[in-house]
Amino acid sequence: MIQLQDIEKVYRTKTIETVALNRVNLHVERGEFVSIMGPSGCGKSTLLNIMGLLDEPTSGVVSIDGQPVKTHSDKQLAKLRNEKIGFVFQSYHLIHDLSVVDNVELPLLYRNISGGERRKRALAALEKVGLSTRTRHFPSQLSGGQRQRVAIARALAGAPEIILADEPTGNLDSVMGEEIMEILLRLNREEGTTIVMVTHDEHMAHKTNRLIRFFDGQQVADSLVLEAQI
Amino acid sequence: MIRHLFKLIWNRKKSNFLLITEMFFSFMVLFAVISFVLYNYHNYKKPLGLNHQNVWQLSFRPNADSVGQAKAIQEQMIQRLKSFPEVEAASLAHNNVPFAFSSWSIDVSYGNKESVETNNYEVQDAYKDVFQLSVDQGRWFGPQDAAALHASVVINQVLKDQLFGEEEALGKQIKGDDSTSYTVVGVMPHYRADSEFAVEEPALFRRINLEKAKPDQLYASLLIKVKPGADVVFEEKMVKDLSRIAKDWTIEVTTLEKMRQSKAKLTWVPMMAMAVVCGFLIFNVALGLFGVLWYNINRRYSEIGLRRALGATTRQIRNQFVGEVLVMATFGLLLGLLLAAQFPLLHVFQLSAEIYWQGIGAAALLIFLLVIVCAVYPSWQAAKIHPAVALHEE
Repeated sequence: MIQLQDIEKVYRTKTIETVALNRVNLHVERGEFVSIMGPSGCGKSTLLNIMGLLDEPTSGVVSIDGQPVKTHSDKQLAKLRNEKIGFVFQSYHLIHDLSVVDNVELPLLYRNISGGERRKRALAALEKVGLSTRTRHFPSQLSGGQRQRVAIARALAGAPEIILADEPTGNLDSVMGEEIMEILLRLNREEGTTIVMVTHDEHMAHKTNRLIRFFDGQQVADSLVLEAQI
Repeated sequence: MIRHLFKLIWNRKKSNFLLITEMFFSFMVLFAVISFVLYNYHNYKKPLGLNHQNVWQLSFRPNADSVGQAKAIQEQMIQRLKSFPEVEAASLAHNNVPFAFSSWSIDVSYGNKESVETNNYEVQDAYKDVFQLSVDQGRWFGPQDAAALHASVVINQVLKDQLFGEEEALGKQIKGDDSTSYTVVGVMPHYRADSEFAVEEPALFRRINLEKAKPDQLYASLLIKVKPGADVVFEEKMVKDLSRIAKDWTIEVTTLEKMRQSKAKLTWVPMMAMAVVCGFLIFNVALGLFGVLWYNINRRYSEIGLRRALGATTRQIRNQFVGEVLVMATFGLLLGLLLAAQFPLLHVFQLSAEIYWQGIGAAALLIFLLVIVCAVYPSWQAAKIHPAVALHEE
C-alpha cells in the first residue's frame, strides 16, 4: 500500500545540516494498523508527512499502491491526498468559522461532487463517529474529544484507504483518548482502513497490529504487537 | 466552492465588517466620480452645433457723448472690419456669446402650453457665417425679415421639442414673456454655447435690426470670423485702425478658443480634483486591503496546511484567497448597489439613468479589479506555503 525505500530527509540551513530521516525502508500493507513511536524529534512526524505526500524526501522513493510518486505534479499529488489519504492531527485542525458538518465536508470540496452528495457523505461520516446530533455546532462549542471525532469524520468523509494520524490522542485525557482509539480500531477492523498512527502512548500503541520504533531518524524496531508484548 | 466561500465570509462577517464597509464606501466614491466624469464625457461627445475656430470677440467700452454717437462709431468700425481681407464675416451680439460667462434667458410659450425658459441670443444675419451654423428646418434670418409683422426667430431642436413636440414649428407664432410675438422661421439641430461639457439647453435667436433698434440699445460684442492664418500682426493692425475710428474707446480682443478653454477649466479642475482625491483614497484602500490580506494569510497558516493536506492544489489555495476577497467585495457592492440604484430610479440630479447604470457598472468593475490586484500577491504567497510546515503552525 505505502512503500518507502531508502528514504532520507535532511534539513539544511547555512550553518547546520539536520538529518531527520536516515535510510528508512518501510512497507505498510493494506489493512494494517501501524503505530510509530519514538522520542520527540526522532523524525516520526517527518515520516508521516512524507507518507502523506505533504513533504518530499531528500532522497529515496515513496510509492503508493506500487506507483512511485516522485514525478507526480502538484495536481496529481493533491488528488492522491484527497482520494486515498485521510489525516488526523493532534491539534484537530478544525476551521473555527465553519460548522461541524461544513468542516467534515472540506475534503469533498476538492472533488467534483454535488453539494447534496457532499452533505450526505459528511452526515454519514459524523454518524460513524457518533456526532450526528452536533452537526450544526461550531468547533468552539465542542469538547476536545468531540473535536477529534469531527477530525476523524472529516478524514472518513472522503472514504480514504489510508488514515495517517499524528498523535490523535495526544491532547486528550485517557477516557477521551480511549474513545478515539476505539473509533480508529473499529475503522481498521470493520472497514479495513489502513492506519498509520504516530503516538507517544505505549498503551495505545499496543492496541495496534504493528509497532515501529524510531530513534534519531532511524528505524530501530519493527515488530508485530503480539511479538512485542511477548 | 462559491457557496463555501460565501459561507466562510458570512460566518466571519464580524471580522470582515470593516473591510466590507471599506469596499462599500470605495464603491460609492467611485460611483459618484465616474458618474460625474461620464456625464461630462457624454456631453463632450455631443455636437456643439457651432464652429468657433478662427472666431474672435471684440468687446467695446465706448467713450461717447451719447448712445447714438456710439452706435454711429460702431457702425463705422463694422464697415472698416468688413473691408479687411482677413475678415470673412462679422456680427454684432450681446455679451452672451459662446463660452462667455454671461447668459440671458427669457420665457417663451406656444398656444396654451406651459412656457419654456430659453437662452436668448440677439445676433445679426452674419452670425450664421461666423459660426458656420446649420439650419436643417426652414432658414436663417435674412433682410427679408426686416419687414416681417412678427419678428423672425430661429430656435434649436431642444426648444422645438419642448414647445411643439412632434408638431411642425415653422411659421408658428410663439410669445415671449413681454407678450411679443415671434414667428419661427428656422430650426437648428444643435446649439450648445455654454460649454463643451454642458448639456444642450433651449436656444432662441432673435435678429438684430439696427434700423429698428431702440435708441439706447448698444451691442457690446462684435464677433468676427477671420481667415486661417490671421495672427497677432493682423490683430494689432486691426485694433490700431479701429482705435483711430473710436478714439478713447477700450477695445479688447479675445479668441473664442481661449474662451472655450477658460470655460472648460470650470469642469476640468473639479473633475481632476475629484479624480486625484478618489485616486488617493483608492490607493489607501488598496494598501489597507493588501495589509489585511497579508495579515489574514499569516493568521491562517494552519488552515492553508490543512486544505493542502485535504487535497487542495496550490492553484485552489490561490483561488480561494482571491475568491474570498471577491466575495467580500460582492457584499460591499451589494450594499452600495442598494444605495446607488436609487439615483437612476429616482432621477437624482436630472441625469439620465444610463449614466448612473454605467457608473455603477464601471465602479463595480474597478472595485473587483482593485481587490484582485491586491489579493494576487498575498494569495500567491499563501499557495507557496509548504503544507508540512503550515500544519505545525498553531
